[in-house]
Amino acid sequence: MKEKMKRMLAFMLLFSLVAFAAGCGSPASPPASGEKTGTGAAEEVKEDDDEVEKTAAGPAMNPKAQEMEQVLMEQLAPLPEFNTGEKIGVLIITLANPFWVAMKEGYEQAGAELGIEVTVMAAPTEGDTKSQLETLDAIVARDYAAIVASPIEPFNLVPGVVRANKKGIKVINLGPPISKEALKEAGGWLDGRITVDYEEQGAMAAEYIVEKLGPAGGKVAIIQGIPGAGQSEGRTAGAKKVFEAAENVEIVSIQPGNWDRNTAYNIASNILQAHPDIRAIFCCNDVMALAAADALEAAGKREGVIIFGVDFISEAHEAIKEGKLDGSIAYSIRVYSKAALILALKTVQGHAIPDEVFSPLALVSKENVAEFEGWE
Amino acid sequence: MKRTKIKLLPGNIFPQLLLILVLLAMVIFLSVASPFFLTWDNLRNVFDHSSLYIILALGMTFVISSGGIDLSVGAVAALSGVCMALAMQGGLGVGISILIGLAVGGLVGAANGSVISLLRINPFIVTLGFMSLARGLALIITGGIPIYGFPRAFTWWGSGHIGPLNPPMLLAAFMAVLAALVLNMSRFGYYTLALGGNEEALRRSGVSIHLYKIMVYLLCGVTAALGGLVVTARLNTAEPLAGWMLELDSIAAVVLGGTSMKGGRGSIAGTLIACLLLGILRNGLVILSIPSYYQQLLIGMIILSAVIFAEVRSRKGLASTHKKERSTAV
Repeated sequence: MKEKMKRMLAFMLLFSLVAFAAGCGSPASPPASGEKTGTGAAEEVKEDDDEVEKTAAGPAMNPKAQEMEQVLMEQLAPLPEFNTGEKIGVLIITLANPFWVAMKEGYEQAGAELGIEVTVMAAPTEGDTKSQLETLDAIVARDYAAIVASPIEPFNLVPGVVRANKKGIKVINLGPPISKEALKEAGGWLDGRITVDYEEQGAMAAEYIVEKLGPAGGKVAIIQGIPGAGQSEGRTAGAKKVFEAAENVEIVSIQPGNWDRNTAYNIASNILQAHPDIRAIFCCNDVMALAAADALEAAGKREGVIIFGVDFISEAHEAIKEGKLDGSIAYSIRVYSKAALILALKTVQGHAIPDEVFSPLALVSKENVAEFEGWE
Repeated sequence: MKRTKIKLLPGNIFPQLLLILVLLAMVIFLSVASPFFLTWDNLRNVFDHSSLYIILALGMTFVISSGGIDLSVGAVAALSGVCMALAMQGGLGVGISILIGLAVGGLVGAANGSVISLLRINPFIVTLGFMSLARGLALIITGGIPIYGFPRAFTWWGSGHIGPLNPPMLLAAFMAVLAALVLNMSRFGYYTLALGGNEEALRRSGVSIHLYKIMVYLLCGVTAALGGLVVTARLNTAEPLAGWMLELDSIAAVVLGGTSMKGGRGSIAGTLIACLLLGILRNGLVILSIPSYYQQLLIGMIILSAVIFAEVRSRKGLASTHKKERSTAV
């Protein structure tokens, strides 16, 4: 009997923990416009550098980012009404990747700026397609006016989007595409899409690499993300095209690193084993590029190899400044997330929006990294 | 000698009762905490999502009851889904394609069981190997790219309607009843539990250990393939990465449901309730907008506490019945 009591007690304890976590995580009453979302983000996401603090205070944007915002806003005109308190649900890929953590902050900050209520949810890991769909289903069951969704792969969110359509919730697709064909077949649709031109990202990085290699050229390798993922396939295709067109540049290896630091590290060291004379490695994101740089460093072969990533996460920013990484392709997370919310607002308020909007891009390398101080 | 516990109506119903209470408490809490939880649409989501876990966890209950483990089920689900897709693409009928997928699952399961039983290798390692092998095969035959677009007769298995319910839910319910009958009332179920309880005794009583062990893993492979059918049909897509970490979800549900990791004791009802509990937990945390970090933390804590309680309980039970044996062993 005593033992039963003990067990009961422990389960109750666990249960109260659920309740406690609920208290921490659920959004409080409608935002008074401003601070609320900013502080929420600071609590939930580990702040490991001073940049986060600056965003919480609402800093002046980096001039380069402001330029980009201007361009995008012109593309999005006429703007919808702000401070209307609409509820918008956001489904990102995973909070286990710094890029998506930054996106989450971007969304929350943009939500505060625009005076709307934004909730960001994610799948537990980058490969968990099934959990992501389940998360979307649960979001659809709530009372959001619109959902901004970024799928792990083109098909996994399709049934959830159809349910949102049926319920009259607007759906904006950000980043990796949700298959329009599959949606159509399932009787659903997207209300809008905002994305980055992935091929262009790969091509920009490859052009920089080719230029740096000069007429002598050399061996290059590509580390992809998860095979089949939109960003990975697009960036690879763009880079491949440029490398193949360049004289004396030879692609010796294209390997899937699954967006994973450890996998990319191993691949980079293997590539180095097979091709000690490798001259450049293009990685489909920064996390893998940083891992590749570490792997080459560990082998004492970092000198003379160009390593390029994509996304320009803050760790990559530091690494470029230190010369550990050669460069990355940037698009402003703040502009990107804000644009998605504006698109969502426009559809909710009945404005027409273009089928597809592209976020502007910038190449960051050691030559121009100084201009990107305070970039988000 | 250890006694194998087999009961039609488990006299030891307390752990399941506790699970039901926790489940009810969670439902009440979530209904109060959020107006979006207790709606038919949302509950239907929970049942829909749980059905996949249930189907996989049923096979896993047999394997774990027999004292084994199967880490390959997520990968097998993906592989059999991909095989069904390729068969349909190749012009075969829906029924035949599904059977091919199930056969692939059964084959991998039988291979698991054969290596484990005939060569007496640790099931953890063997199924780990087959997990990687199946995942690799799925990636190779698809080239890493999901196969999409199937006939309606196939997608019906994932997203069709049967009254207010759908085929995966009914499949899960049907399988659960079947599994409960087989585990508790058939010779196969009896031997499965005996394998986990005391394999040596079973061997000495002249039962073919190999046959039953292989059958247990074969069954688990088939339920994994059924899971593959549900997931492929629901998404109208066969993904080589489908069922990621599904093996861990189903092991967690089985253990939470009161089946002993050491084998010899298994509860289908417990597995069923545990799957629903985990399904409600996942759904509820999203409904309450709790970040995904906390979801993993909480699920981990719940599983750990369940296992610790079960262990404490079984040790106390052992201490009274096997005092003698223990003292000689130490």
